[in-house]
Amino acid sequence: MIEVKELRKSFKSFEAVKGSSFTVEEGEIFGFLGPNGAGKSTTINILSTMLKLTSGEVKINGYDVTKQKNKVRESIGIIFQENTLDEKLTAKENLMLHCKLYRVPKKSRKARIDEVLAIVDLTDNLNQTVEKFSGGMKRRLEIARGLLHYPKVLFLDEPSVGLDPQTRAHIWEYILKLKEKENMTMFLTTHYLDEAEISDRIAIMDHGEIIALDTPKRLKAQLGGDVIELQTTDNQAAIQEINEKFSVIEATLHEEGITLKVKNSDEFVSTFMKQLETPVTGLDIRKPTLNDVFLSMTGREIRD
Amino acid sequence: MEGMIAIWQRDVMKFFKDRARLFGSMTMPILLLIVFGVGMGGSMESLMQNVAGGDLDFNYVAFIFPGIVSMTLLMTSVFSSLSIIQDRDFGYMREILVSPVSRVSIALGKMLGSATVAVMQGLLLFLLMPLLGVTIDLVSFFVLLPVMFLLACAFASLGLLIASVISSTQAFQLVVNAIVMPMIFLSGALFPLNNMPAWIDVLVTLNPVTYGVDLMKHIMIDVDQLSREVYVEMGLDLDFFGIPVTPLGEVLFIIGFTAVLIVLATLSFSRANR
Repeated sequence: MIEVKELRKSFKSFEAVKGSSFTVEEGEIFGFLGPNGAGKSTTINILSTMLKLTSGEVKINGYDVTKQKNKVRESIGIIFQENTLDEKLTAKENLMLHCKLYRVPKKSRKARIDEVLAIVDLTDNLNQTVEKFSGGMKRRLEIARGLLHYPKVLFLDEPSVGLDPQTRAHIWEYILKLKEKENMTMFLTTHYLDEAEISDRIAIMDHGEIIALDTPKRLKAQLGGDVIELQTTDNQAAIQEINEKFSVIEATLHEEGITLKVKNSDEFVSTFMKQLETPVTGLDIRKPTLNDVFLSMTGREIRD
Repeated sequence: MEGMIAIWQRDVMKFFKDRARLFGSMTMPILLLIVFGVGMGGSMESLMQNVAGGDLDFNYVAFIFPGIVSMTLLMTSVFSSLSIIQDRDFGYMREILVSPVSRVSIALGKMLGSATVAVMQGLLLFLLMPLLGVTIDLVSFFVLLPVMFLLACAFASLGLLIASVISSTQAFQLVVNAIVMPMIFLSGALFPLNNMPAWIDVLVTLNPVTYGVDLMKHIMIDVDQLSREVYVEMGLDLDFFGIPVTPLGEVLFIIGFTAVLIVLATLSFSRANR
């Protein structure tokens, strides 16, 4: 559904995207992660015809983004990071304008507006001015709008940014409902790594290059072993001691304590607790998360 | 085509929702009508009596009125087109730009929207006519409408081009001072421009507002009834670098001006790189 080959984009002397290639299959949820400034937005803008590529080839739904812009535009729906609703108009007026801009057949407009509003639970707000909506309602309306023309690919650029956790959960419920119903391909960027877990595959981009691309499960498996979060009375001394006495895959010191990566946490902890001389104040064993994957691949937290 | 109409409709729809703007933008033209019409009217009228050398039925406000209407068209169209900048700031422009609507349709839709709003705003001024002692017959009124619309389209496309060049709302005032105000003052809209220095004369001749105002004056004022002296004195005998100006010539000049600006505005919309 999305084919990207050797995509490059330079702004004057700065190379924002350095020859990345990937494909997204039909019906897939594709998570696209990376720290700020990694080239994510640039890539999304190129994929959605908002930005010209410097070299390479990008095809969406079989159409070339440079040569068949309008065909591509008809095939995609975008939920932007920032609000792009006309707040002075009502929900219905916003949706109707979208139908007209995307040439939704006249006969089916009303039915489709009702349909998408039902998906996001805004049926009762049809004639309300968007200005009066809460942040979550606006987001939902925007998602509804992005679906009006039955896009083949839906781009979700930080769809839940700035929303409270409850609303975030709701938004994802709607998005998954949709995917089940329409078998839509979704291209997702997000800062919340727990949200990225719903992706079928994840690409991590850093410094304009794709440094990892796999299913969330395999990405986490690649890290190998388990993660132990450790707090001691003297973290500095503890990390030194750990490096001398124990065989760990990785030990990193950070503000809140020490993160250890070990092959088998059960075996490790029993000997570790006996032999470590620095007093332990807190210990937490967990399976690796995408955050750990991200940290080990880019050396940064996603929010940095 | 439908995309163009949708963009057009949106601007008109928003105009009706914003009553404050509707009446707020009326204050400036009314003020100018009082200052130039009533204030300057007395001296202009006695001056014209001298020129004509006798009794003369002359209402200066009737001369100013078409000028003030054109000014309203200019201000409203340019400002409506500048709403694109707001659309850009509030994000709506992205929704339009990623849609499959052709870039020409976007430019034309925006132009038609601004022009429609401007004409409606201009027509509101006609409600003041009885108070000013200005009259217009029905036939002239229906000739005037398309002229007003054409003029508004020209100004709207100017606004579009400006909007594509400047990037912030803060630059609004600058634009008004540097472009819109000079265009009004150098058009004969508010007072006749006679015996100007040559360089100002060139600006007046190249200013499309000049011809818009002139067209409107010729439609709204019973020019045949004026003596030759008054006609000349009121700046109604325009020439384009020596060639006498005809109404058809004026219309063509305005159409040409609009076409060029729309092409330029479209090009700026098609630039994928923003």
